Amino acid sequence: MKSATRFIVLTLLAVTTAGLQLGHAGDGGGDIAYKSTVFSHASHVDGAGFDCESCHDGMFEMEAGAISANPDFNMNAIYEGQFCGACHDGSTAFAADDDCTTCHTKAGGDILYSEPVKSVLFSHESHAAGFGCESCHTGMFAMEALAAQKNADFTMDSLYQGKYCGACHDGDTAFASDTRCASCHLGVKGYNRSADATDTERGASH
Amino acid sequence: MKKQNLNLAEMKNEGIENISLEERRSFLKMGLTLTGVFAGGTMLSAVSSVDKVYASAGEYVEKYPYNPHYSMVIHVDRCVDCERCLAACKKTNDVPEYGYRTNILEREVPNAVGQKREFLPVLCNHCNVPQCTRVCPTKATYKDPQNGIVMMNIAKCIGCLTCQLGCPYNARYFSEEKHAVDKCNFCIDTRLSKGEKLTACSAACPAQVRIFGDLAVPDSRVYRSIHQLEKAVWVMRPEAGTKPNVFYTKG
Repeated sequence: MKSATRFIVLTLLAVTTAGLQLGHAGDGGGDIAYKSTVFSHASHVDGAGFDCESCHDGMFEMEAGAISANPDFNMNAIYEGQFCGACHDGSTAFAADDDCTTCHTKAGGDILYSEPVKSVLFSHESHAAGFGCESCHTGMFAMEALAAQKNADFTMDSLYQGKYCGACHDGDTAFASDTRCASCHLGVKGYNRSADATDTERGASH
Repeated sequence: MKKQNLNLAEMKNEGIENISLEERRSFLKMGLTLTGVFAGGTMLSAVSSVDKVYASAGEYVEKYPYNPHYSMVIHVDRCVDCERCLAACKKTNDVPEYGYRTNILEREVPNAVGQKREFLPVLCNHCNVPQCTRVCPTKATYKDPQNGIVMMNIAKCIGCLTCQLGCPYNARYFSEEKHAVDKCNFCIDTRLSKGEKLTACSAACPAQVRIFGDLAVPDSRVYRSIHQLEKAVWVMRPEAGTKPNVFYTKG
């Protein structure tokens, strides 16, 4: 019964939305959020005065979020003038490698590593104070979440040699990486709890 | 059946700072140095000025009762709950998914300064005065007279679970497959008897948390770990009087 009601409501919503879109009125697609990144149609159409064809001419699909499925949609492509980089080149608009947090409004959130041991939590939130993205994301850590754990040298020994987290967690800048183990290590229990939480969120959204 | 009763959050600190004045005084009267060491598993052990070991008030003077006298020293602050030990134990000893021979407890203290989480590996303490063997009506569980390991003879076990009630460490589970109680035996059948020097859990640990060895060898790492003055060493539930052979330390 409940699901039938939900179906009707969703159908009505879809019909209404479709009806509104028929006119293509206003600034179109609203805010497009992808992971930590937000693209605002309002600030680009109303603010900067572009029309739909400026970008929806083959560069971006009309379908919201479709671009995120494109494996070429990354910062390197943007630096080369593709996608957002077509304008964000430092002359038409601010350079793509200039002001990360304007578009990446949410820092990467919580990164829960599961290799080589389960599990280690890195919180962007608790590290963001006083650091810019480039503090860590220039060679030390790739932007891609969990990329580091694919490296064979992502071990405590590397940390002790000043690599990865060890660049700051050296006992000087931040607590040494051979102390307070369970500050970052959540263990299998922490990992499972996190997986449970994710399941719950997923369950709640359906 | 007894529920899992090892609640780390409610567990009292059993380190040296909780030793009563009276006990400190009685040890000092014996001319011994307080160390916080629980060698041999008594409430306190003491090391005299000539560094001789009195495992428990003169009972095991200069000598451990078994040979080899297997023991484990757990460096508790190094544990990150990666649970490789649990996986290795299950695989080595054919422990079913619902069972455990060793476990890792967890405590979170949100108001703590600095680190707010602590893990605590637990297993059978292979006590010198085991309560499980005492209460077993069929002698299915017994203390090996040679090496002191608390063993199970599953042919004799009638599944009454009295040993579970007797054990202060919750170290026993009932195996449906064996139709008997199962527990840690320091991998005596699966590894030590085959020439391996370490238990599966100890060998699998990436952080040197579980140090396994022979207390009857004064040169062994376990012996040296618990016969030193610099770092506190403690046992779980000393008030049970079981004289455990699993010790805890930090660092």
